[in-house]
Amino acid sequence: MAFKELHNTPKFASRLLKWLIKDELLEEIEGDLFEHYQCLREDHSRFRANWAYRFHVLNFVRPFALKKFGQNSNQLIMYRSYFKFAVRSMLRKKTSTIFNLGGLVLAFTVCGLIYLHLKQELSYDRFHERAEDIYRVAWFNDNPQTRTPHPMAQAMVADMPEVEAAVSLSPIYGPGLTKVTIPITLEKSNISFEEPNGFFADSTFFDVFDVKFIEGNLNTALETVNGIVLSKSMADRYFLNEKAVGNRLSFGPSTDMLEVVAVVEDFPLESHFHFNFLISYMTLKSMSFNDPWMSWDDFGHFNYVKLRAGATEEVVEAKIPEFVVKYLNWSEDGLNDIRQGDARFDLQPITDIHLKSNIRWELESNSSMTYLIIYGVSGLFILLISIINFVNLSTARSAQRLKEVGVKKTLGAKKGELLTQFVFESVLMSYLALVIAVFLIRGLESNFNQLVSGNIDSAQLFSFEVIGFLVLITTITAVLAAAYPSIYLNALKPGEILKGQGGKKIGGAKIRMALLGVQFIAAVIMISGSLIISDQIRFIKNKDLGFSAENLVVIDIDNWEDRSEILKNRFLQIAGVADVSTISNPPGGQFNQHPFYAENDPNNRIDASEIFVDHEAFQVLGVELLEGRLLDKALAADSAGTSFIVNEAAVKELGLESAAGTDIVWLDNENQVKGQIVGVVKDFHYQSLHTPIRPLIMTIRTQSYNKLMVKFNAQSLSKVMGDMENAYSEIYPEVDFEYSFLDQQISSLYEEESKTLLLTTWLSAISIFLSIAGLIGIVMIALKQRVKEIGIRKVLGASIYQILILINVRYLLVACLGTALAIPVTFSLMRGWLENFTYQNGISPFVFVITTITLLTLIFITISVISIRTAKANPALALRNE
Amino acid sequence: MFLDLFYIYENWYQMKGTQLGEFEELVLLIVGVLHPDAYGLSIREEIIKQSGRKVAIGAVHSALSRLQEKGFLSSDLAEATHERGGRRKRLFNITAEGKRALERNHEMRNSLFNQIPEIALKGLNLSGI
Repeated sequence: MAFKELHNTPKFASRLLKWLIKDELLEEIEGDLFEHYQCLREDHSRFRANWAYRFHVLNFVRPFALKKFGQNSNQLIMYRSYFKFAVRSMLRKKTSTIFNLGGLVLAFTVCGLIYLHLKQELSYDRFHERAEDIYRVAWFNDNPQTRTPHPMAQAMVADMPEVEAAVSLSPIYGPGLTKVTIPITLEKSNISFEEPNGFFADSTFFDVFDVKFIEGNLNTALETVNGIVLSKSMADRYFLNEKAVGNRLSFGPSTDMLEVVAVVEDFPLESHFHFNFLISYMTLKSMSFNDPWMSWDDFGHFNYVKLRAGATEEVVEAKIPEFVVKYLNWSEDGLNDIRQGDARFDLQPITDIHLKSNIRWELESNSSMTYLIIYGVSGLFILLISIINFVNLSTARSAQRLKEVGVKKTLGAKKGELLTQFVFESVLMSYLALVIAVFLIRGLESNFNQLVSGNIDSAQLFSFEVIGFLVLITTITAVLAAAYPSIYLNALKPGEILKGQGGKKIGGAKIRMALLGVQFIAAVIMISGSLIISDQIRFIKNKDLGFSAENLVVIDIDNWEDRSEILKNRFLQIAGVADVSTISNPPGGQFNQHPFYAENDPNNRIDASEIFVDHEAFQVLGVELLEGRLLDKALAADSAGTSFIVNEAAVKELGLESAAGTDIVWLDNENQVKGQIVGVVKDFHYQSLHTPIRPLIMTIRTQSYNKLMVKFNAQSLSKVMGDMENAYSEIYPEVDFEYSFLDQQISSLYEEESKTLLLTTWLSAISIFLSIAGLIGIVMIALKQRVKEIGIRKVLGASIYQILILINVRYLLVACLGTALAIPVTFSLMRGWLENFTYQNGISPFVFVITTITLLTLIFITISVISIRTAKANPALALRNE
Repeated sequence: MFLDLFYIYENWYQMKGTQLGEFEELVLLIVGVLHPDAYGLSIREEIIKQSGRKVAIGAVHSALSRLQEKGFLSSDLAEATHERGGRRKRLFNITAEGKRALERNHEMRNSLFNQIPEIALKGLNLSGI
């Protein structure tokens, strides 16, 4: 066949063919395909010919034609040999392999877990598709709070073009702002649960938040009076597999009041609030007693806005003062504060709330960025320590392979090949560690979740991002570990190595010492840091709160119908019960607040938290009276709720020397209660120690009690609890007996701190363990090099102790230097952390003394134990060597 | 891993021994037909022309290489030519062994065909013969 002209075959396919096909078959196959291509080009388009060519090339991927890579490729042969060398040297030095691998596995596991945890904490509220446009409106004055007036939400939509949608919502609070559980009953099957996390919400709830609908109509769900939207998990409790929409539920004693209008997916764990059910504001508005709460005067709702894409929060925030003064029915003074920016409505990005917002009445207790930083830094420190160990140990091992390197070089191995070999080995090692670590992370997932009460999911490990992160860490580790030894070994002349001259001393002792110093710095920071954290937590737990929380049981009472007096009397008859009192919210909870002022000074309004108590409450809590008297049942004014007890902080804000007998006006929403301060109590910490003690006002109001506090004798606890439960179920047969111990409640306020303490204790233990393991490695190398020196010293009359001190002294010096550098760093880091607390323990210098002494002792003991054999050995043996 | 699978596949082919597969027989016959100018591409063209079977060049080469392994074909490299971009072609020839295998197949088929009783073919053979 003769062709007019010859065409070039497609390039890539031709190259592929060359690469794939056995050399002996290549010529004839290439020839056939070439000829075939020319034929095709005669009759068909270039495009078709190219594709046909490619098709035929791929069709040659058949066993008879393919190169046998495993056997014929030089590259593969070399890697196979590297692999063999690596495995053999790993097996030969089992202890050091286990040390090396163990350290890396530990560090990767810790880092992986911390990474997953941080990732989860940082992902809060990002499940909304336009999370970055959603903000919460919060009120910032000298006592900032999350709650703002209800009409504000819709007024913002109406007045500001930037605001696309807004929703007002509120948890269902009991009297005095305690979060209550609501008994919800499905009458037809008689299923009843005490449901927490109930919310009132505007019909625009679903315009702002992304919620997945399961049943019902999204648009009209929250527009109906008495409509209730259930979360999936709650719906399942009542209507397992049945249709929920259309059924009626009883809300407390109001039989069949609510109609289920929709069922929606629960918010994921990574949300700053969760609801079990939503009830429309329409329902509230249909009941006229709620009017004052719905007005501009009551800062009592959570308002969220969704801005239009592209609108910035600054623009909206700047417009708020001017906008809001139109609506607020305040005195000029108050409005001027807003105009001047002394009091502001700010927009909090919803994605920041979980980590950055910690003001009054958060919907759920939030975490804090500080903790994440502590975890992250600890994780990095541990990684650093173990990378240093890996580098040091690899260097040490390479020294024992000098002969191997010498022989290889003599036989013609190039520099690059030796480098490849070392990199290959450390990559192999670190990826092995990575694989083991991944299994460990999977295994430790639930334990870790318990430890930090998190919800990490190790299945997330297999996302592109995480794998990328781990591979990056691993590769950096491996390359660092391989770089030094291979550069060092490459520089040696093969002749010298083989003659035995080059290999006596492993270089880089100074670098190793410096790296050791870095490890010590990291370890000292972590140990002293966790000591400071534990000091602070102990300080908080032991701080005199101004009342006694011991032997106090708090029992929920249902105040739909007041039976608390009967219950109190029944309890008092139980042997072992010392005292009983009713209260709106016990210390440690959340409190409602309203302003009051002295009648003769109406301009000095004081925002005061309020607690409704009975006359026994002060006695039960052990609060100390400073002046005046406590409340007395016998006095009519006291029972009517016009006699008030305030704390010292309130007196100070009133600007009075003595407050007892002062006439005041207390503004409880629409009511102006005129009354008198009858007594002043010593300040007590009714809120957590994160916040200072603020003014507090207490009075009697029978319909507002939520809890019963019972002081009992510790010896007879279990019997008392049994008796109380019996008495309770007689009087409240329809309600479950729910109780908690006040001291436990109080310590749960510091749960976040306790968690951090536990985690940092673990992390610092791991870091010290790893540093000591690294130290052992380094000392072992040094000892091997100094055998002869030690021998000579002994012959010349040095004692074992002198030799031990000689070996120890330089490491102890490095440790001292490391500690000296670490102390100021720790000091400034931890001072930042302590600023989270109003009541700080301060940093005691004792912490650093303990850390230093512990570290030095540990180092001394470790070194002495491993070097004692060398020190004791017969010097003749050491000197006879070679 | 996948290379290993190929080796297993190859061994299995060798274990099939000196049996002549259907496609192999076709290729072997075509080599005979084209003698002395039988090489990969020309064999493929001939197969397409004679039997209408569209086969890939790779399939033909694969069969040729198996036939050669079984000793039914011998081959030599010819002169380099221009239209092949200066590459030589491999020309195939049937060996004595190959000829015997073809005869064996042919005889067996004929003898089996002759053993079919007349009656069995009667109802089937409607036209032609």
